[in-house]
Amino acid sequence: MDAQQRETLLRAMLTELVGKGYGDASVERAREAAGVGAAEFEAEFDGKDECLFAAYDYLTERVVERASADCDQADPWPDRVRVGLESLLQAVAAYPEMARALTRAFPGIRPAAYERYVSLLSRFVPVMSEGRQYSGVEDELPGEVELLAVGAAEAIIFGEVDAGRAERLPGMLPEILFSVLVPFMGPDRAADEMRSAAAAT
Amino acid sequence: MRTTRSGFLSDSDRDRLIAAAAGLCAERGYAAIDEEAIAERAGLTEAVFERHFEGKEECLAAAENAILLEVVAAVSRSYSADRSEWENVIFGVREILVLMAANPDFAYLGYVFSRQMAPGSVREINETGHRMLEAMLQRGWDYSDSPHQPACAALGVLGGAQAVVRRELAAGRAGRLPQLLPDFVYIATVPFLGQNEAVRLARHAEGLVLPGES
Repeated sequence: MDAQQRETLLRAMLTELVGKGYGDASVERAREAAGVGAAEFEAEFDGKDECLFAAYDYLTERVVERASADCDQADPWPDRVRVGLESLLQAVAAYPEMARALTRAFPGIRPAAYERYVSLLSRFVPVMSEGRQYSGVEDELPGEVELLAVGAAEAIIFGEVDAGRAERLPGMLPEILFSVLVPFMGPDRAADEMRSAAAAT
Repeated sequence: MRTTRSGFLSDSDRDRLIAAAAGLCAERGYAAIDEEAIAERAGLTEAVFERHFEGKEECLAAAENAILLEVVAAVSRSYSADRSEWENVIFGVREILVLMAANPDFAYLGYVFSRQMAPGSVREINETGHRMLEAMLQRGWDYSDSPHQPACAALGVLGGAQAVVRRELAAGRAGRLPQLLPDFVYIATVPFLGQNEAVRLARHAEGLVLPGES
């Protein structure tokens, strides 16, 4: 199968997963949607699980790419966090079904699948590390401050996606930004950034 | 056979089934377990299971209820009117972390399974507990000098701490949770009290960390 077919297949598998649940997600329907024959599928994947895991890896790569695509490395760190978060929230709002696959449908399959979700969150940790330079308490920040910040955004995004309100997320950028920045910058400076983001939206 | 007993549960058949269900979920996830497997893990028969629960969902809902009630009980036990509000928060968080470290299957059930894997009835119980903790944290506003926190500040605090807990649980490091008390104290207080006070309280919490596995 070519790259385009593969991508269509992986998306179709995620759609199956969200729509039908793990047990009823059909490789056959996904293959048909992508125009992929059974032999082509078997040459690429060992079965439904391997295809689903590949689909999730594909999705998480797109998420990470999307979050960093519009960031200008010359900009100060808080601006880059805002721009990356904005891109991410817009993508989640535009593709709520994929967002459900990302946050619940796939991680909920079993503990091994959940570990992929944990890995996805961990990929944002290095981006956060630069925030330590903006700390008002210098090197006294806790060792886990990066994941604490990532988890703050994740909890808010997860809640909205789960409640079927993903479309609200771009409008929540200022307050989510506050929650991400506050461990590094404290409430007053994080609130300044929140107000700037609100004014810009 | 591996033990299914848990420190806060009794040795009754019902509690053994609850502990077995929590353990199996942490190992295999929801779809891969059934009533027979739960009964077998508990050292009981399927007929005994059916006397107590209509199915695995009801059993797991009971397990989620059990850990939630134990969290409430542990936090209540830790409260002292002689301490400041924030000191009580520190002791409450410490008790939750110690409880989770001692009961990794239930920690997985409460933090991971019930949030992202469970069917509706189990998830609703989890969400009730989550809202309760969020409401406790929102009291932090009463102590805040900064009037600008957004409505979701408490949810962000909780989400940050839980992301760290979930990472540890997914990695099989529940025993390490009590050592993270200072980090959690920092994140719980920084939006409301500012960085300097959050660091001071986190340092104070370092002295309260109970020994655990590394």
